[in-house]
Amino acid sequence: MTFPVAVLELYPLFRWLSGVLESFGFSANTVLIISYAVLGVIMFSALSIIALFLVWWERKIAAHMQQRFGPMRHGWHGWYQTIMDAIKLLQKEDVRVASRDKIVYFWAPVICFVAAYLAYIVMPWGKNLIVADFNIGILYIMAVTTFTVIALLMAGWGSNNKYALLGGMRSAAQVVSYEIPMVASILTVILFVGSMSMVDIVTSQSGWIFNWFIFKLPFGPIAFVTYLIAATAEANRTPFDIPEAEQELVAGFNIEYSGMKFAMFFLAEFINMFTVSALAATLFLGGWNGWSFIPSWAWFLMKTFGVVFLMMLIRWTYPRLRVDQLMEFAWKFLVPVTFANLILAAVIKYAGWHW
Amino acid sequence: MQGGIGNMGIFKDIKALFSGMRITSKHLGRHAITLQYPEEKWEMPERSRGVVVLLSDKEDGSLNCTSCMLCMRACPTAAIVIDSPRDPETKKRNLKKFEIDFGLCCFCGLCEEACNFSAIKLATKYEFSSADKDSFLWDVNKLQEVGRDVDYIDTRKKKKVAPKKETTPAETKSPEKKPVDQKGENS
Amino acid sequence: MSDLRTEEYYLNMGPHHPSTHGVCRMVLKMDGEKVKEIEPHIGYLHRSIEKICENRTYAQCIPILDRFEYVTAMSCNYVFALAAERLASIEVPERAEHIRVIMLELNRIASHLLFYGVTAMDIGALTPFLYGLRERESILDLFEMTCGQRLTYNYIRVGGVSRDLPNGFIPKCHEALNTIEKKLADYEGLLNENPIWLVRTVGIGVLPAKVALDYGVSGPCLRASGVQYDLRRNDPYSIYDRFEFDIPVRHNGDCYDRYLLRLDEIRQSIHIVRQALDALPEGDFKAKVSPNFKPPAGEVYARIENSRGELGVHVISDGTKKPLRVKTRGASYNHIAVLPAFATDVLLADLVAIFATMDVIMPEVDR
Repeated sequence: MTFPVAVLELYPLFRWLSGVLESFGFSANTVLIISYAVLGVIMFSALSIIALFLVWWERKIAAHMQQRFGPMRHGWHGWYQTIMDAIKLLQKEDVRVASRDKIVYFWAPVICFVAAYLAYIVMPWGKNLIVADFNIGILYIMAVTTFTVIALLMAGWGSNNKYALLGGMRSAAQVVSYEIPMVASILTVILFVGSMSMVDIVTSQSGWIFNWFIFKLPFGPIAFVTYLIAATAEANRTPFDIPEAEQELVAGFNIEYSGMKFAMFFLAEFINMFTVSALAATLFLGGWNGWSFIPSWAWFLMKTFGVVFLMMLIRWTYPRLRVDQLMEFAWKFLVPVTFANLILAAVIKYAGWHW
Repeated sequence: MQGGIGNMGIFKDIKALFSGMRITSKHLGRHAITLQYPEEKWEMPERSRGVVVLLSDKEDGSLNCTSCMLCMRACPTAAIVIDSPRDPETKKRNLKKFEIDFGLCCFCGLCEEACNFSAIKLATKYEFSSADKDSFLWDVNKLQEVGRDVDYIDTRKKKKVAPKKETTPAETKSPEKKPVDQKGENS
Repeated sequence: MSDLRTEEYYLNMGPHHPSTHGVCRMVLKMDGEKVKEIEPHIGYLHRSIEKICENRTYAQCIPILDRFEYVTAMSCNYVFALAAERLASIEVPERAEHIRVIMLELNRIASHLLFYGVTAMDIGALTPFLYGLRERESILDLFEMTCGQRLTYNYIRVGGVSRDLPNGFIPKCHEALNTIEKKLADYEGLLNENPIWLVRTVGIGVLPAKVALDYGVSGPCLRASGVQYDLRRNDPYSIYDRFEFDIPVRHNGDCYDRYLLRLDEIRQSIHIVRQALDALPEGDFKAKVSPNFKPPAGEVYARIENSRGELGVHVISDGTKKPLRVKTRGASYNHIAVLPAFATDVLLADLVAIFATMDVIMPEVDR
């Protein structure tokens, strides 16, 4: 694992910043730490803006699908509605249950929120636009996104509420089950690329459009679809949103959270959705590859938002599965299909029947 | 699962999933059917039963009410309170108090139907919510004020639906001549 | 490890729960996600409508009864008017009967469209709710145009209806019916074949015909269990015997059949309304009935088929202008009562689906 100092130097901003800092007489290590802090703040704000935008976008899409307007009050078509919502949630009283498990209850939203952001350390936003290019990039993402389930379980347990507990338990069962088909789908990609580094995965798909992994017939599309299904479940969205099924569990694990703690869960959920969509874009849709007249980060965002849009369409169209059907679907359908697909991909790779 | 995803034809399922998606995405480009409420408003149909108002005469602007108390008796929730002591000399009722408590009113329209003098009507106006309970108690002045511009068909003159205002000035409201039939504003 | 154990626990579902359609409270004995026992608690919406009616004249009872079952307030209006008419032997004009049938059937369509929406929403599909309500809106517009209100109509009166149909009602009504008929394809396309919808409803909450009959279940829930029983046929009232329509029956008694049956009923109701609109005669819309009329002493039980089942009202008159006793009967009460008999050993999510497809509405239970 290389510590990505070199990556930092790619950005003019950081070159300029380190120049300024060095002129003030800071040591090289301090300069590095400050640069990373600045980078962290930039990533954090960018992701928060994306999450807020996604909330607004989802509301708009849902509204238009249902022939409503959606938010219309703040700005053009209510574009800063979610910012106002966030401000409102910040001001709200933090109502806490007296019988909560104090430590667990407090840390659950924090862990959920942080875990959602962690994945973006290795996310390739564009050409040379990556915080750190780990050689285990995708494995790292799989590892940190699973933190979310711990947070949801903690929220369910710490709230001391039966609905929340049911939500937390459902979430644990669901995320653990869907992790397997998700990883199996990703493995087909890794199998072909031969590397877990996110940059390698993207560069291996460069060139013309049929180098994108989704067009690697016959297993590419299957892997994409199974990944998308598993990712929808990972992100706790309809038809797999049983941890917070409003009609059954009222709000599930976050039933006892209010104010900013609720907002943290809420934003984390949308960032998770963006994460799985960005992964889908990176792994299957060529990442930031595209015609060069559009900057690479724009390609990445376009593809990601395309996948997000698909997930939103799914969410607002389909009913919700039941918890046991969800498990059955994962173990009896998705896991066999993804593993068969993986074996097929391995055979094809070994035999060399691919371009 | 029980007769579910595993057993049924997977292609049929996929087709059904896509057809559902087609229907929702078809609606994406359509116009909203809702309105931005405080700025835009639906046009209320003529018969819409909104706030209860007292109607005034179209010519001289005096109240049509003869304080016969029919509406008060018809009201199922006792929202209407009328106090009209009889003048000992002329034997006519004198409207002293006419109050409607909109906290009680259920907007059933029975008062309008009971009235034989086109004096009370459920107008199409509807925005009169308030956070103050006392403000729902409207007295006769307020009821008349709100009802000033409410259009209505004057059925007080016998056997003749007054077209507009070319008829003779309305005679002073006299409780003696009672039009017998109910309000026949069926169109 | 020996002290590890599992235990059943109680989950309090309601009175404020998104899927109890009002303020029903169910105490569930749960084993994990599985519902072992259901104990419905009712009475959170009690407004003592029956007692209030004892202090009102017959005309004044009708707006009160609007609030009895507000999703199909027309049928509440109608059933009380029917009881009063039978008490006092009032002849209702032909035109009024036709208008009544139009209104009752339109109200049934509106109620079933609401059912479509909320059931889909309870099972997790959020968009059908708005689609169902969109078409319901066009029917409510018709009602508002006719009687001035969208929910508490106070339209059907003893001896007829309060007002004649307004100008332009008939073309607008035809237009609304055509739209609904066209949109039914959308509704079915969204859910009928959807595999997720199928696994959530097919074979879930099977209500056997015997249990249904034992508990007095009526309406679509009973017909979905294979019992052909519809008061429009079995105990004809108004002029339903003149119209040609089918009573849809399904035999599985599960959530899916209850859902499909209501869609079928929408089609039949559209058919009835069209026939009634075509046959609409000229004439009076109301018989001459004094607002303070006094029916002779006696008692009568009138019952009709509303969108949820048998809606009845028992009126006892002592010869004064106010009824001595009014007893209402709503189908939802039985539909809640039957839940413990057949909806046990299901998952929590299934209970929500069953509750939604029984189409319970709480004001009818608590009145």
